[in-house]
Amino acid sequence: MMSRKLQIFLLIGIALVLLYIINMVRKKRLDLRYALGWILIGLVIVVLTIFPRSLNRIAFFLGITSPVNMLFFFGFCLVVGVIFSLTVALSHMSDKVKKMAQEIAIMRKDMYDQLNEQRKSRE
Amino acid sequence: MKKLVIIPAFNEEGNLEKTIQDIRENAPDFDYVIINDCSTDGTLDICRRHGFSYLNLPVNLGIGGAVQTGYRYAFFHGYDIAVQFDGDGQHSAKYLKEMVKVMEETESDMVIGSRFIQREGFQSSALRRVGIRYFTGLIWLLTRKTITDSTSGMRMVNRRILKKFTEEYPKDYPEPESVVTILSEKYKVTEIPVVMNEREEGASSISLKNSIYYMIKVSIAIVIAAMKK
Repeated sequence: MMSRKLQIFLLIGIALVLLYIINMVRKKRLDLRYALGWILIGLVIVVLTIFPRSLNRIAFFLGITSPVNMLFFFGFCLVVGVIFSLTVALSHMSDKVKKMAQEIAIMRKDMYDQLNEQRKSRE
Repeated sequence: MKKLVIIPAFNEEGNLEKTIQDIRENAPDFDYVIINDCSTDGTLDICRRHGFSYLNLPVNLGIGGAVQTGYRYAFFHGYDIAVQFDGDGQHSAKYLKEMVKVMEETESDMVIGSRFIQREGFQSSALRRVGIRYFTGLIWLLTRKTITDSTSGMRMVNRRILKKFTEEYPKDYPEPESVVTILSEKYKVTEIPVVMNEREEGASSISLKNSIYYMIKVSIAIVIAAMKK
C-alpha cells in the first residue's frame, strides 16, 4: 500500500509538472490543444494518488491480479496513443509544409516573370 | 489549347539542356517548366544561365511533391493538358504530339507512354520488369484494367485530372498509385507504345536497397487507392 509520505511526494511532483505545463501554455510556448492531454493525465494521477485503493478495485474489476501490472499496461497504452497522435500531427504538418513550398515556388516564378515583362516593355 | 511539359529535376545538370532542346525542337507547341527540387549540383545554375522556365522549390519535397508543384502551376495558369517528362534523357519529346492525338481521339483522361507494348528500346533490368509486371497483375486484379507500364514517368493528363492532382498527389513513388486512384474513379487511362532511352547521366530514384521498401509501399498504396472510390 502507498505510504502517506509517498502520496505527498507524488502530489507535490505532479503539482509542479502541471504548473510547468500551464505556465508553458500561458507563455504560448505550448499549444493548449496539445497540452490538454498531458493535463488530463496529470489529473488522473492525482486522483489515483489520493485514492490508491481505487487502483486495486479497477484491477480486480478487469481481472488483472496485480494492480502494478495494470498501471504499467495503462501507461504503455497511453504512450502508444500519444506517439500515434504525434504521427498524425506530423502527417498534417508535412502536408502543410509541402503545399506552402509549392506555393512559394510558383509565386516566385510568377513574380520574376512579371518583372521581366515589365522590364521588356520599358525597353 | 495550352499545353505544359512538367520536368521534375533533382541533380540533372548533365541532361537538362538536351531535354529542353528536344522539347523545343520536337514539341514546339508545348510550354515547359522545370521543377528544381533543391538540387545540390549545378541544375539551378543551368536554368538561370540559359533562361529556362523553372520553379525553384525552397525545400526538398521528393519526386511526388516536385511533380505536384508542376501540376499546381499548370492548373493555376489555365493549362488544358500537362505532361510529366523526365529530365534525365530517358524520354523523347517526339511522342508528345501523338499522346495529345491519342488523348483526343480516345477521350482519355490520362495517356501513359509505355515501354512494354512494342518492347523496343531500353527495357529496364530484368528484375524491374518482374516488378512492373507484378504491378500490372495487381492493378488488373483491383480495377480489371491492364496497365503495362504503371511506373512510367511519361504521362499526360487533361484538366480534370490536373485539378485532382493539384488537390492530392502521393509523396513518394507516386506513379502506380496515382494511376490506380484515377482508374478506381472511373476515369479513362490509355497507353501508347514509346521507346525510352537508357538514362544518360544521373541515378535512378529507386536503388536496389530501396526496392524492397518500394514494392511493399507501392503495393499497399495501390490497394488503399483502389479502396477509396
